[in-house]
Amino acid sequence: MEIRATEIMVAAGARELKDRETVVVGIGLPQVACFLAMSTHAPNLTPLLEIGVANMQPKDTPVGLADSRIFYRATCWSGFLDVMGMNLHRGVVDTGFLGALEVDRYGNINTTLSKEEGRVRYFNGSAGGNDVASLAKRVIVVMRHEKRKLPAAVAHLTSPGFVSGKSRAELSLRGNGPHRIITDKCVFGFDQTTRSAVLLSLHQDVSLEEVLANTGFPLEVRETPAITPLPTAEELRLLREDIDPKGVYLG
Amino acid sequence: MASVPEGAHIALGGFAIARNVIAVAHELIRQNKRNLTVSQGVAGLDTDLLVGAGLVKRLIIGGGSLDRFGPVHCINRARETNSLAFEDWTSLSICFRYLAGALGLSFIPIKSLIASEVLERLQQGGAANEVTGMKCPFSGEDYIAMTALTPDISFVHVQASDAEGNCRIDGPRWENEEQAKAARRLIVIAEEIVPTETIQREPERTIIPAHRVGAVIHQPYGAHPTAVFGRYDYDAAHLKLYVEYAKRADRIGDYIREYIRSTKDHADYLEKIGGAAQLRKLKADPALGY
Repeated sequence: MEIRATEIMVAAGARELKDRETVVVGIGLPQVACFLAMSTHAPNLTPLLEIGVANMQPKDTPVGLADSRIFYRATCWSGFLDVMGMNLHRGVVDTGFLGALEVDRYGNINTTLSKEEGRVRYFNGSAGGNDVASLAKRVIVVMRHEKRKLPAAVAHLTSPGFVSGKSRAELSLRGNGPHRIITDKCVFGFDQTTRSAVLLSLHQDVSLEEVLANTGFPLEVRETPAITPLPTAEELRLLREDIDPKGVYLG
Repeated sequence: MASVPEGAHIALGGFAIARNVIAVAHELIRQNKRNLTVSQGVAGLDTDLLVGAGLVKRLIIGGGSLDRFGPVHCINRARETNSLAFEDWTSLSICFRYLAGALGLSFIPIKSLIASEVLERLQQGGAANEVTGMKCPFSGEDYIAMTALTPDISFVHVQASDAEGNCRIDGPRWENEEQAKAARRLIVIAEEIVPTETIQREPERTIIPAHRVGAVIHQPYGAHPTAVFGRYDYDAAHLKLYVEYAKRADRIGDYIREYIRSTKDHADYLEKIGGAAQLRKLKADPALGY
């Protein structure tokens, strides 16, 4: 079986997580990446779910954050006030790991609405997204790479990154802001001075031209970008046999 | 439900497709309680039904979803057509506002919302008097101050309660405790009524004590088709069927007529969706909880 783009994405996401970190994860690819990290180099990572869960070990694939499958074998069940209040708001969450409808060059996230041909369509809104993006020490976003999903400015600024290129201190936000955007074509980081997205690595068989043509914001490319490391044979086995055997999220 | 006045602010305890107060939403629809203000952390099927039935005039939510079954179509459509007043907050800000209500504080500061369009829209819209910037009087740090949320009535679906209203909530409980204790009146819907001796054996499991509870309704499968951890799973087939109706403005009325208005009560609704045979299939494995 060929390596799927989603597998490259979650392996790249997993490598960003360090052992002993506390991570608030969203459903879907963030959660898959987090479990991959825990099965490899980060066995002592603490995953939290905004609904009030710590250290879940699901054995069946959940359909969402409200599915009892996701909080199987957890070590703590509490609520928003604990996970998002006394952890995120308290400032002890190292990484917030999110999905997005749109992300712009400053890492601002939209999960609220789309504007196409003048028509506004609403989606899920913030839920915990704004809280995670505002308060986690750093934020990683995983999303599909499409020009309209990576615009110059998001159609609705649901969750703040480096708004208007400002530092987080200037914005008076506690968390340090966006750290990575991981797509199915490449990995973006952020320039410390301009606070704008920069290309860090291209996935296997993806050209720079392809990324430039499919990115809606102006992209800084300083040197030949690296190639995103492929998932190892062991990572692929874990993903395909243990973490998402039915391909609910990776398929 | 007859005690719910038209135009009341009600807070619902569901999250997406878990522990929704479906029996309550259905009965409010049967009794046609109009002009409701509804607040909720993350809206699920319960609120989507009330909006779909045209009973909601103002919505105060942090987000909304039916997980992988789809978005909250009725709510999103109402926003697109501007047919109700809408306040779009975040999960934590709604929880903090309930917490302020529960603590008897008139406002609470938060470090979310800052620099976002969520805040901008709240300030420009109907929530202009509920949210503002402020500085800590001691350190000078910037905060967003929000008014307390004090619903007229909160509804929470729980796994077990005794007849007095001492409630257990198993599994994660999102903003339920704050939402319950912020309300002027609390109505609990329990899957099971247990003897008070059961509560007394493990009182640390009581999340809401009886003296805060106005009424207890015993309604098994009262959250169907959403899930109740440890009791039953969500009904995937029925949720898919609901979404087929809900995604079309001209079909949601058919669902409401067929499954709600033409059933006389929740027992009748449960018969309609397949009765005991269907409910048996959803029963949770005690070792798994789903």
